[in-house]
Amino acid sequence: MSDVVTFEHFVDEPVPARPRGGVRATLQRHGLAWGLVLLAVGGFGLFWSLDVMTASDGIPKYVLAAVALVCLYVGLDLATSAVFGARFDLGLWLSVAWMVAIIGGAALAGVLPLAESKDVSKALLEPINQRPDLFSSHPLGTDGQGLDILGGILYGARVSLTIGVGAVVIGVAVGMLAGVTAGHRRGKVDGVVSFLTDSMLAFPPLVFLLAVVAAFSPTILTVMLALAVLAIPTFIRLSRANTLVFAQREFVLAARALGERDRSIVWRELVPNVALPVASFGFLLVAAFIVAEASLSFLGLSVARPNPTWGNMIAAGQEDFQTEPHVVFVPGTVLFLTVFTLNRIGEDARRRWDPREAKV
Amino acid sequence: MVGLKLAYLVPVMFVVSLATFFILEAVPGDPAVTVAGVNADPEIVAEIRAELGLDQPVIERYFDWLGGVMTGDLGRQLLEPRLPVSTVIKAALPVTLELAGLALVMALLAAIPAALVAASRPGNAPDRALSTSAFAVIAIPSFLMALLLIFLFIFNQGLAQALLFAIALIGACYLANRIWRAAKRYPPGSKAPYLIRRVVALVGGLAVATVLILMMPEFPRQGFVRLSADEGVGENLKSAFLPALTLASIEAAVWMRLLRGDLVATLQEDFILASRAKGMPRWRILTHDALRPSLFSLITVLGVSIGRLIGGTVIVEQIFNLPGLGSLMVRSIQAKDVPVVQAAVLLIAAIYVIVNAVVDVAYVYLDPRIRRGRV
Repeated sequence: MSDVVTFEHFVDEPVPARPRGGVRATLQRHGLAWGLVLLAVGGFGLFWSLDVMTASDGIPKYVLAAVALVCLYVGLDLATSAVFGARFDLGLWLSVAWMVAIIGGAALAGVLPLAESKDVSKALLEPINQRPDLFSSHPLGTDGQGLDILGGILYGARVSLTIGVGAVVIGVAVGMLAGVTAGHRRGKVDGVVSFLTDSMLAFPPLVFLLAVVAAFSPTILTVMLALAVLAIPTFIRLSRANTLVFAQREFVLAARALGERDRSIVWRELVPNVALPVASFGFLLVAAFIVAEASLSFLGLSVARPNPTWGNMIAAGQEDFQTEPHVVFVPGTVLFLTVFTLNRIGEDARRRWDPREAKV
Repeated sequence: MVGLKLAYLVPVMFVVSLATFFILEAVPGDPAVTVAGVNADPEIVAEIRAELGLDQPVIERYFDWLGGVMTGDLGRQLLEPRLPVSTVIKAALPVTLELAGLALVMALLAAIPAALVAASRPGNAPDRALSTSAFAVIAIPSFLMALLLIFLFIFNQGLAQALLFAIALIGACYLANRIWRAAKRYPPGSKAPYLIRRVVALVGGLAVATVLILMMPEFPRQGFVRLSADEGVGENLKSAFLPALTLASIEAAVWMRLLRGDLVATLQEDFILASRAKGMPRWRILTHDALRPSLFSLITVLGVSIGRLIGGTVIVEQIFNLPGLGSLMVRSIQAKDVPVVQAAVLLIAAIYVIVNAVVDVAYVYLDPRIRRGRV
C-alpha cells in the first residue's frame, strides 16, 4: 500500500479480517478430516466416561464427559461447515434436532419400552435413586420411589408441550384478531382494547396463575386456559403495533380504493402480513409458558402426581437433593435444554420474519 | 402529561381490584367452613357467614371490601390466629421488598459492566462468552436456578469455589494474552510503564478475586434473619444473598443482552466517531459518551422487571423458606384464606402498576425529545 493518503482511506470500508493464525485456522484448513477425528475422540471419550467409569462417581468422570462433549461440538461444527459451507448454523440445527427428539419422544411415550414412571405400586421392586446409566433398563435413573425418570420426562413432555403450545395457539388466535381489528379500526374500538390490555398487563402473571389455580382445580385444560389469558394482551400489543405499520402501506390503500370491505381487508391484507412476526414471537412464548407450567407444578399447583411433569419431578427430587442430585438435575437439564432451544429457534425466526428486527 | 398518566392508573387499578375480588370469589368452598372447621355445626357456620357478611349479595360485598381497602381496613385472617390482614402483610412485605431491592442492585452491578465489556469489541471472545452465558441463564427457570445455587454454594462449596476460581483464571489468561500481544506490537520500551501498570492490575485483580473466593461465608439453607434482629446486618445479608442472587441472575442476563444491543447501535453514531477522532480512549467513550443514550430501553424494561421481581419472589421464598409476601400468598391460597390472598394480590398489582407509571414519568424527564412533546 502506498504512503499517500487518498480519499479511499476515509470511506467506511469493511476492514478485512486479520489473517488469523492459531489453532482454529489450522483446523479449518482440513475441516472435514479434523472434524471427523474430533467426533471420534469425543464419542469415545463420552462412551468411556459414561460406561467404563460408571463405578467411579467423581469429578474426573464429569470433567471427562464435559471435555468429550466440547470435542463433539467442535468436531461437528468443523465437519458441518466443511460440508455445508461456513454459514451453516450448527446451533440452530441442533436445537431443531432436540425439539424433534422431545416431540417424538412425547408422541411415542406410550409405545416405547419404558419402565414404570407413574404408578408407585408397580415400581415396588425397582431400585430407588439409581444413578443414570445409559446401558440399563433405567437409562436416566430412578427417583426416590423407584419410578423411571426417562419415562417421567417423556410423559411430562406431553403435559409441557400441550400446555405451552395450546396456550400460545389460543393466545395468538384471540390476541391477533383483537389486535389487528384495533389497529385497523382505530378510534373507540382501539381505546377500549388498549385499556383492557393495559389492565391485563398490570396484573402480575404468577399471581394471576396462583389465583386461578386456587379458584379452579389444576388440570391441563385450566392451566392452559389461564396461560392463554396471560398471552392475549401481549399478542394484542404485538399485532396492533405491526398492523399500524402495515395499515399505512399502499396495498391496504389500494384494497380500500377497490372497495374491499373492512373484514376482507383485515383477513386478506393485514392478518397474513402480521402473522409471521407474531408467530416468531410465539416460539419464545411457548418457552416462557413451559417454564411457567413447570414453576406451577413445582409449587404443587399444576397437574399433580401420579401424572409426572417436569416441575413435580424436580419438586419430588428436593427431598434427597443433597445425596441424590440427579433426581433434580436430569429433569432440570431437559427443561433447560427445551427452553434454551425454543428460545434459540424463536430468536432466529424473529430475525428472519419480524420486519422491525430485520431493520436493525 | 404526568397528571394524565397518573389519572390513568385509577381505572386500571379499579379493574385490577375487580378481577382480584371476582377470581377469588370463584374459589370453591365456603370461607365460613374454613373458619369453623369441616365438622362444625351448620348453625355455627351460618352465624359465621353472617359475621363475615357472606350472606349479602356479591356486588355489595365487593364495594364493602373496596371501601375497607380504601380506609386501610383489610379484614382479618380466616384462620387462627386471626390477625388483622394488614398486620400479616406488614410483617411479610419488608422481606419481599428487601429481596427485590437487593436483586435489583446486584443485577445492575453485573449487567452494566458485562454489557460494556461485551459491546466494547462486538464479536470477540469475551462478547461471545458473555452473550452465550446470558442466553443460557435466561433459559434457566428460577426454581432450577435456586436449586443449582443451593447445590453449589451450600452442599458443595468447594466445587463452587473451584468453578469461580477457574472462571477467574480463564479471564486472567485471556487478559494476559491481550497484554502480551500489545507488548509485541510496540517497539521495546516505548510503552513499558503502561504495560507494567496493566500487568500489576491484572495480578492484583486475580489476587483479590482469589481472596474473595476463599473467604466465601457459609450461607444458610433456609430461613431469614430480619434486619431488625440482634444478629445484625451481616447475618441478614447472608440469609438474603442466595435468594437475591437467584432473582438477580435472570434479570441481569436480560438487561445485559438489551444494553449490549443498544450500546452496539449507539457506537455506530456520528458523535462516537467524533470522540474517537479526537483520540478518546475506548473505555472513556463507552462510559462517558455511549452509556447514557443507551440506557433508555433498559429503564423502560426496569419497570417490568421490578414487577417481575416482586411477583417472582413467590418461588424463591418457597424454596428458601422466607417469610415474605410470596410464601404468605401460597400458604393462604392452599388454606383458602381469601382475605389475605385478595389483599396481597391487590398490593402486588398496585406496586407493579405504580412502578410502571413512575418509569413512564422518569422516561419523560430523561429523554428531552419526549419532554418537548416531539417524540
